[in-house]
Amino acid sequence: MPSVGLPGMPPQPVKDDIETTAVHNFCTSQKAGGFALSSHVIGSSQRGAHLLGEDLYKKLSEYLSEHLKGLVAESKAHADEALLAFYIREWQRYTDAAKYIHHLFRYLNRHWVKREIDEGKKNVYDVYTLHLVQWRDVLFTQVSSKVMDAVLKLVEKQRNGETIEHSQIKQVVDSFVSLGLDDGDSTKTTLDVYRFHFERPFLEATKVFYQNESKQFVAENSVVEYMKKAEARLNEEEERVKLYLHPDIGIPLKKACNQVLIADHSTILRDEFQVLLDNDREEDMARMYSLLSRIPDGLDPLRTKFETHVRNAGLAAVAKVASDADKLEPKRAFKDEPEFTRSLDNACREFVNRNEVCKSGSNKSPELLAKYADVLLRKSSTGAEDAELENTLVQIMTVFKYIEDKDVFQKFYSRMLARRLVHSNSSSDDAETSMISKLKEACGFEYTNKLQRMFQDMQISKDLNAGFREHVASGLSAKGLDSSYSILGTGFWPLTAPGTNFNPPEEVAADCERFSRFYKAKHEGRKLTWLWQLCKGEVKANYVKNAKMPYTFQVSIYQMAILLLFNEKDKNTYDEIASTTQLNNEALDPSLSILLKAKVLNLDPGSSSKVGPGASFSLNYDFKNKKYRVNLNVGMKSETKQEEAETNKTIEEDRKLLLQSAIVRIMKARKRMKHQQLVSETINQIRGRFVPKVSDIKKCIEILLDKEYLERLEDDDIGYLA
Amino acid sequence: MSRDKNSQKVTLTSNEGSTIEVDRVVAERSMLIKNLIEDLGDDAIASSPIPIPNVNDPVLRKVVEWCEHHRNDAAQSADDDNDNRKKTTDIDEWDQKFMQVDQEMLFEIILAANYLDIKALLDVGCKTVANMIKGKSPEDIRKTFNITNDFTPEEEEQIRRENEWAEDR
Repeated sequence: MPSVGLPGMPPQPVKDDIETTAVHNFCTSQKAGGFALSSHVIGSSQRGAHLLGEDLYKKLSEYLSEHLKGLVAESKAHADEALLAFYIREWQRYTDAAKYIHHLFRYLNRHWVKREIDEGKKNVYDVYTLHLVQWRDVLFTQVSSKVMDAVLKLVEKQRNGETIEHSQIKQVVDSFVSLGLDDGDSTKTTLDVYRFHFERPFLEATKVFYQNESKQFVAENSVVEYMKKAEARLNEEEERVKLYLHPDIGIPLKKACNQVLIADHSTILRDEFQVLLDNDREEDMARMYSLLSRIPDGLDPLRTKFETHVRNAGLAAVAKVASDADKLEPKRAFKDEPEFTRSLDNACREFVNRNEVCKSGSNKSPELLAKYADVLLRKSSTGAEDAELENTLVQIMTVFKYIEDKDVFQKFYSRMLARRLVHSNSSSDDAETSMISKLKEACGFEYTNKLQRMFQDMQISKDLNAGFREHVASGLSAKGLDSSYSILGTGFWPLTAPGTNFNPPEEVAADCERFSRFYKAKHEGRKLTWLWQLCKGEVKANYVKNAKMPYTFQVSIYQMAILLLFNEKDKNTYDEIASTTQLNNEALDPSLSILLKAKVLNLDPGSSSKVGPGASFSLNYDFKNKKYRVNLNVGMKSETKQEEAETNKTIEEDRKLLLQSAIVRIMKARKRMKHQQLVSETINQIRGRFVPKVSDIKKCIEILLDKEYLERLEDDDIGYLA
Repeated sequence: MSRDKNSQKVTLTSNEGSTIEVDRVVAERSMLIKNLIEDLGDDAIASSPIPIPNVNDPVLRKVVEWCEHHRNDAAQSADDDNDNRKKTTDIDEWDQKFMQVDQEMLFEIILAANYLDIKALLDVGCKTVANMIKGKSPEDIRKTFNITNDFTPEEEEQIRRENEWAEDR
């Protein structure tokens, strides 16, 4: 028998080769008489070779088994670290020797072993594998659990802060791994042995250790402290894997630690989250995020909480009409993780678009936002500081970004801008321009085109009025009114011609006539439409008996026309007024109502008790008011409501047009497209303005097909007809 | 490292005791020697010759000649049993010439190749023998390899019947 008993020391070359030769000669000795080739043909000789190989193999196997039994016996004398050292030393010697012996027995491997394996015999391995198998079967089964105990003790020591020699554990791990032999196919290795004998107990021990530790720690410390601890521990374990464990354990170990350190305590962690949110503890939130992100579904409750928190904060802010939601930027704490940013956006969009105020529909929020902007930009008694105003506008833009129906905002905003400009009660031109440019930045040129044109129109009108005044002063005509005119480009302004005929009072008519002539001289071929409903003026009431000073009434031109009638006589019937002014009921009735309400006019007791045909009115000479200037030109409630309804109605129409134009634009570029693609492309284009419904898009495509802008092609394709 | 290996020399001793010095890469065509060098380390090789007791001097020289010629071939892998190598009986020209030796020498080479674990050489040898058998009748084969017929006529008849399907008609 070769010198297996002295492994670890390389055999001397001469001896080595002689041994190899011995193996060779032993295996071939039966056929020594003839040529090897001929022996293959003869069955009996072949069988002889078999038996010879088997003998040798068995002897070797027995020898190994004896050697290992000896080691087992020796191992009993050691425990813990000494046992580890013993195991490692013997393993090292054994595997070194196995390598040499494997080479010595190469001839056996090549022939006898190979044939046995090819014939499908189990329990025959090449010589190196045989060594491992024997080690596993004889020694490993006996000592593995003790070795493992020693390993675990060592690891626990390290977890408790002591330094250990981790190369030992590393070697044990390697040994366990190499013992993973696939019984079905000896050329493959599996991690089964390692998993069963090392990984499993290791994970168990880890769990137990951290369960105890974390329980104790949580009981004695705050949650924030615990998070720090857990984070440190998790990092430690990761390091441990890198340092001396098999990478295969990385994931299960992480899982185990996550389970014990995080999942088991996730409820208290999550409860703490609200506290952290309330106190803006970014760093701790970041820590919690990174902890909870390790466990499956760990973040979902967090996201929900975050979403609710932001929503609540947002709602609270809305309630206070302070849109400072942008103060909330805890996303820094969440590594800017898109999921969280999305949560934030979702929450914001949620509370911006669907809150108490606008249960009726998503139109309400943009409307309110536009109104808020209007309040800010209108001349008001509070007169906010410029810087402050600018800030508020920036905040409005933040909210604006979350608005889904940007087109609704545009509608309302342009309407209110128009009103501000026409009534010239905008607080500052600078603020207006800044707001428009902000909108432009957010939504593009097209979005603010009209707003800008409106603004320009007002500037031009100012110059025009100056020119007109000069013209009047230089002229010899009778003294006119102190008047000013605005020229508003049709199409840019959300305004329509008055819904009624109107016969302006003579005094006004003359001045208007003069202006028309002046304007037409300047710009030939332009048509002027008078927007009477927007005209206003002031009249002085010199008739009031008890007044030391004459009252001044600020009135609409309709009211002015009505009041001027009373210059002729103190009493006028409804029908008389209607026929002189040419106003229809809708315009006349509200104007009269206000005059009655303010007690400028009295309803004659004899006539009908309601404003309408048959009623007659008389001038109130006993008019009294605390102020000398009385504003009678108040927007009537019904009127504004009507306006809103109208705006909302036009939105639907405008959306259809917007969709159609988008579709045509796309088709013009693409010429031919699948129906489905077209729909999604349209959604993409239009999303900046509002969230379109697929059914609406389909309807619009139908309309365009009918109008022969598009044609239907085979295969669900749509073609563009130029 | 590889340059080192190229220039390194190894001494082999045949069973008569004569020595042959060859480049290490050449010697390592033999898996037996390669493993041996690996086990013992470079130093041991440099200081003492490697005995090849199963091979006599002329055969060892012949084998070394073959190894020299094939020094740059791809190293044989552990499990190089691909079908291509097994199926074809083609032998490249140089190897054919190399194998033009008397029968005894041929078999000695094959035995040495087997012993030294030089797969490619073993293949060439066996293929040469296979080509010697190809297309010959049993009698011719017996004559070629000097084999005495130890079958009885009955046995021979039976074998012929069993293998009738393989006869080339």
